[in-house]
This record gives sequence, C-alpha cells and structure tokens, in this order.
Amino acid sequence: MLKRALAIISLLIIGYWLAQGLAGVPFGQDRMLVGQYYLDHVKEQTGAVNAVTAVVVNYRGFDTLGEVTVLFIASTGVGALLWRKKRERTAKTEGSIVLTTGTRLLAPFIMLFGAYIFIHGHLTPGGGFPGGATIATAFLLLYMAFTVYEIPHKAFEKVEGAVGMSYVLVGLIGLAIGGYFLFDWIWQTWGWGHNNIGRLFSGGFIPVIYTVIGIKVGTELSGIVDNMLKEEVRE
Amino acid sequence: MEEASKISRYLYTVIVLFLIWLLLTASLDPQELGFGLILSLIVAAFTYEIFSTGGLANLHPKRVAYAIAYVPYFLWAMIMANLDVAYRVLHPKRPIRPGIVRCKTVLNSDVGKLALANSITLTPGTITLDVDGDNYFIHWIWVPDEAMTEKEEEHVKAASEGITVPFEKFLKVIFG
Repeated sequence: MLKRALAIISLLIIGYWLAQGLAGVPFGQDRMLVGQYYLDHVKEQTGAVNAVTAVVVNYRGFDTLGEVTVLFIASTGVGALLWRKKRERTAKTEGSIVLTTGTRLLAPFIMLFGAYIFIHGHLTPGGGFPGGATIATAFLLLYMAFTVYEIPHKAFEKVEGAVGMSYVLVGLIGLAIGGYFLFDWIWQTWGWGHNNIGRLFSGGFIPVIYTVIGIKVGTELSGIVDNMLKEEVRE
Repeated sequence: MEEASKISRYLYTVIVLFLIWLLLTASLDPQELGFGLILSLIVAAFTYEIFSTGGLANLHPKRVAYAIAYVPYFLWAMIMANLDVAYRVLHPKRPIRPGIVRCKTVLNSDVGKLALANSITLTPGTITLDVDGDNYFIHWIWVPDEAMTEKEEEHVKAASEGITVPFEKFLKVIFG
C-alpha cells in the first residue's frame, strides 16, 4: 500500500515536471530550423516525395544503419539466449479448418502487401521497417495456424546476412563514387529517374535500400518468432 | 477436389496476386504494372503451394460469374439478418431462444467450407462455433420449432435448411 502510494506520488511529480518543461514549447507555430531545409530541398536533392524516408535513408542514413544493426543484434541475442541443441515445436492442437484455410489464403496477400509497403517507401507512408514487419506477420500466422510449420532456416539466415551486407555495399559504392559513406550515387551521379519524380522508379537509392531493409527485417522477425516458439525436447 | 498441376496452381496464384496489386496501386503506370508483375511472380513462387489446390480451374467463367452474383446476394442476406437482430434487441419481450445446432454441408473443398463458415458468422443471428468434417456446429439466436426435435436426422435437416442451404446454392458452384 505504502509502496503503491509512493510510486503514484513520484510519478505525479515526474509528470508535473515534464509538463512544466513542455509548457515552454509553442505548438502549432513555425519553429523549424533544419526542417525547413529538408522540406525545401527534398525533391531535387533526393527525388523522394516522402520527406520522412528521405531524411531517414538519405540525409541521416547512419541512424537507419544503426537501427538495422540493433535489430540484427536483437535477433542474434534471442538466438543465443534460447540456443539449445535439440529444440522442436511441441504444439499439439492444430487450428480448425477455418483458421488453417484462412491462413493459407491470407499469407500470400500479406506478403505482397508487405512488399508493396517497402517498395513504395519514397512515395507513401511506410518503408522498410513496416513492410518487413508485415511480411514477418505472414510467417507468424503460418506458425500459429500449423503445428508443423517451419521457416526454411538455412535460406533465411543466408538471405538475412546477404541483404545486410548489401546495405553496407550500397553505402560503400557511394563512398567510392561520391566521397562519403551512403552517398546517393543513383540519384546524384547517375541522375537516374530525374524526370520521373512521383512515379515508382525514382527516389535514388531509397527503394533499393528499403527493399534490402524490408527483406532483412522480415527474415529477422520471423527468425525471432521461430526461436521463441520452440521448446527444448529431451530424449 | 484433386490437385491441379503445379504450373496451373502457380499461374493461378500469380494472376490473383497481380489483381490484388492492381487494386492496391490503383494505377496503370507501366512502371507499377511491370514491378507488380515481378513481385507477383516472386511471391507466388514462395506461396503457391499453400495458396491453391484447384489451380486455374478456379477461373472457370461459370465460377467467376457465380462469385460475382454471390456478393449482392450475401449482402442482402446480411442486411436482412441485421434488421432481424435489431428487431430482437429492440422488442420489449426480447424474443431470443438461443441454442447450438448441428448442420451438415454438401461442400467438399476447404475453401468452400471456410467461405460457408464466414458467411454464417457474418449474418447475425448465427455464429459458427466449429467445423468438423461435414458437420457445422452453429449457435443460433432463435432455434425454430422444427429443429427442436429429439430425432437427430430431422434436427440436422431442419437446421441445415435454415442456415447452410441458402448459401450452398452458390458456394457449391464457386468452390466445389
């Protein structure tokens, strides 16, 4: 009782303190310093219509590379924590026919929609991370509906590593051509898609990188689901 | 329904996925069409084995026509069932007589059974609880007198006529 009361009081104090800090920030007023630069130059500098993805992939590509690394470490960490020699799925109850047939029908649509999200990252809201998470949802659905379903591990791990390296490779090509890491060579040096802004084949290397991220996130989250669903079996 | 050949199943999956892509993008830009086709080919290569057992035979004109005709038919049944439930809710005596009944279906394919189960659930007043082979176990908001019999066959027959038969006319042709 005393513990709970103390916790509520300290939370109220912290909340009041944060509210005091935010009271000085004027909402709805133009306070953009660097933001105005992004909005003014995003089209001719990156070719993307979606300013958020241009910032995330182009202007501040290092952050995204870091996020991908964090996700990779999370996936590897789960794999390392749950590592056992003999691990199998021990679920016994197969879903009803409504669930299994529905899953069969839905899984391809979910995968296609995930691909739609990551390939249109430079045009519509979304990008590699939501697209990859959507694709992982399809695998989660297969895992939940079928007691024996397993992702093809060998292929998934190889694809995951290969696309992770190709992200760095795209950055290194930029280093060779433009002089710094993650330089957008497709847009700035080749000028590919310049007369095409707003259509699919534009946006410099954003669609390329988002395809890579989408596949990577999709395989990684599926791998985490796979690791967490399996249980140790004793002979 | 026996399995169609792999090529037929693959092509059917590609066609369905490409149609979905057309709806998603809502554009006829050649770039979108080309890329959508490539994506459909790739996604279908991964998923055609679980997606379809019937293959291209599903695109038989008669089946497609019945599927299109089924949409307004089903929507009408849904509206009438909704009004019926609204009447039962608003009626001062609240005339409900709930019960679980067993129906038999004539459908053979899994997809047809799924469609029937969803059609039953989406028309208010009836909810599919479980599907087991040919048997549907359905929760009904107003079990009519004909189904309140001790005899098993009569019960199943009355329940099926009230619930599954109206949908099966269409679903039998669409899914087999």
